[in-house]
Amino acid sequence: MYHEPMHYLDWAATAPPYRDIIEAAVGVAADAYGNPSSAHRAGREARALLESSRERLAASIGAAPSNVVLTSGGSEADSIALLSTLVGKGERSVVISELEHPAVYEQARALEGLGVRVIRVRPERDGLVSPERVAEALRPDTAVVAVMAVSNETGAIQPVGRIVEAVRSAAGGRRPFVHCDAVQALGTIGFDARALGVDGAAFSAHKLGGPRGVGALFLGRPLRPLALGGGQESGVRPGTHNTAGAWAFAEAAARAASSLGPRMERARALERRLFDGLSAIPGTTPLPECRRAGDERYSPYIACLSFPGLAGETMARLLDEAGVAVSTGSACSSSKKERRSLDAMGVARELSFSSIRVSTGRDTAEADIDAFLEAAASAYSRFRV
Amino acid sequence: MDALYLIKIGEIRLKEGNRSEFEQRLKHDLKRRLSSIHSEVQHRDGRYYLTVAEEHAGLAEFVLSRTPGINGWARAVKARKDIDAVREAVLEAAAAIVARGASTFKVEARRSDKSFPLGSYEIASGLGADVLERFPSLRVDVRSPEATVYVEIREKAYVYTDGYPGVRGLPVGSGGRGLLLLSGGIDSPVAGYRMLSRGLALESLYFHAYPYTSREAWEKVRDLAATLAAYSGGMTLHTASFTDVQLRIKKDAPAEKTTLYLRACMMLAADMVARARGLNSIVSGESLGQVASQTAENMRFTGSFTDYAVFRPLVGTDKEDTIRTARAIGSYELSILPYEDCCVLFSPKHPILKANFESEREAFDALGLREAVAEAVATMETLELPFSPELPRAGAARR
Repeated sequence: MYHEPMHYLDWAATAPPYRDIIEAAVGVAADAYGNPSSAHRAGREARALLESSRERLAASIGAAPSNVVLTSGGSEADSIALLSTLVGKGERSVVISELEHPAVYEQARALEGLGVRVIRVRPERDGLVSPERVAEALRPDTAVVAVMAVSNETGAIQPVGRIVEAVRSAAGGRRPFVHCDAVQALGTIGFDARALGVDGAAFSAHKLGGPRGVGALFLGRPLRPLALGGGQESGVRPGTHNTAGAWAFAEAAARAASSLGPRMERARALERRLFDGLSAIPGTTPLPECRRAGDERYSPYIACLSFPGLAGETMARLLDEAGVAVSTGSACSSSKKERRSLDAMGVARELSFSSIRVSTGRDTAEADIDAFLEAAASAYSRFRV
Repeated sequence: MDALYLIKIGEIRLKEGNRSEFEQRLKHDLKRRLSSIHSEVQHRDGRYYLTVAEEHAGLAEFVLSRTPGINGWARAVKARKDIDAVREAVLEAAAAIVARGASTFKVEARRSDKSFPLGSYEIASGLGADVLERFPSLRVDVRSPEATVYVEIREKAYVYTDGYPGVRGLPVGSGGRGLLLLSGGIDSPVAGYRMLSRGLALESLYFHAYPYTSREAWEKVRDLAATLAAYSGGMTLHTASFTDVQLRIKKDAPAEKTTLYLRACMMLAADMVARARGLNSIVSGESLGQVASQTAENMRFTGSFTDYAVFRPLVGTDKEDTIRTARAIGSYELSILPYEDCCVLFSPKHPILKANFESEREAFDALGLREAVAEAVATMETLELPFSPELPRAGAARR
């Protein structure tokens, strides 16, 4: 397959994998083929590799190896935490933010259908969830609280540590499970589970250059899982281990973690370039409108930009034609007209409907930003209605 | 072994004046759809018989179920004209009925060949008794049997059981050739199907507004046209770019009138295409009151941009009935794919409901859109979609 050179600005949807890691993982899969649950030598060797991978991954997320559950991805990690509310007797409620990724949001909606009360906390206009509002939403029967680390639509970095504190002090003696979807944080702004004090956190390998189909759940305290099986991963995530996937995930996470600082500097510079360029296109605005380059409340890797009068979908199409890949909101919901999290922030429909998401990553160059700005300016002037 | 089908025709028989023309057309339609294989179509006493090699039975049945003018069809067995051979065929047919789980049956016999020694009644009752003897689990029910075995004594003996329904109506083209305004929605393919089944051959016209509408939206329309091609024996799809027309309307017209004027431009374009292609009518999927733009007043307004007959077969049809037909013809799953065929930025929140004919005609003419419409028609692209038994599927090779 031959492709024209592309300016890939959709890293929040998925990151191009580290080719050497993916290739090496094939060898790992072929060599360490034993089932890590088997007692023979092949099994023991695979187990050793699995556990060393777990140790490396644990180090990347600020956890002890025994707190890391390997999963099939971020969505499954979210599901395990949320579905645990169905285990046990009595009424249960779940508190989530309106910004949550569908892995949490839709799961909560399904729980609602099963009789679990779901309380949704709206973010403020700046796209941040207030710890006080979360604390106010708690009920005596609240079993799980879920607030994501970084909004996949706006890049807003949620005050997870303060939310944990607020929940702890408001809940008194009770201790609701505080879960954090950290899929957009790991490998970009970084995530330290222990420092933040969360009970659970979800991670995905493919967002930081690892393979698809691998993720992890941090578990700071035991959780009773809904789905049971062969007892793997302390019974929390049954199923034969993906040894090669775990190895590749740990490798990619370690590589990302080793250069977070320098990368962050570059990402900030690219963000500034992007916002400066955007301000030269009359009528456009970032979302939330108060966001400026360098604002530490937002991940510099993700920006939501609005071109009023041109549907985000149309803009994404025109940019694609010009060799620039962006998305309209979450890639999973890009075909829907609604922009749930932007609606929740109180963004006017005219702006949210006309928004696209630009997200950068380790290989993004200034030329990519420039190509985007040029193509966007041209498309906007030609097709704005 | 060959597969033999008996084809029942309905309405064609009523058209005494030009009956042979209708019959020739139907025969031609069948042969053309089956042109990739060897087939024989025979026509005797108001019945058609289709013979194909057994391995092509699937294609034959696909065609028989989708060719307008056919009321119904059944897989038949041809037997020698002696009662023992007929009995053998009837018992075989009865075995199939039992396998299907039916518990009541009857034998219905017709004898066109009066030289056959037994009368219709004798044939039916004698063979019925034979069936009962062989299959004691069956009972006879002459009023409402669960299954019927038909025996026809003609130049040969034919035995068949309950058949399958056809599209009915008239052979495609017997009503001339019209232009279908095809969008990506649920209604227009159904409107096209309805007119096809009334014998109107069709070409389709789609208005594309790239980049406001996507390539996927166009592909969906192409797949819908291909779905109709299975009924019409092929389909011509014209795609006119309406981007400039839409932008002009958006720029110059009051917001509440944009939909009305856009539809007027579409009718104007359809008129031009019909004229250029020598067609005789325009077909639209409008249904009275379904959306704001589909009122009697607005239809009068848009209809005034052509002097061709405008067929709106769904105008008095309930949406649920339309959806049922869409499911039956296989267009529904395609139509509900989420690709917009009209960008919401061009859709007013409160469109005008009852156009004042005279003043709107004047206001529309003042916008001077005819040239832009003519340009869209002059540059339109035409795609010929051949008849194919491979229907497009929603979700195949997408995303």
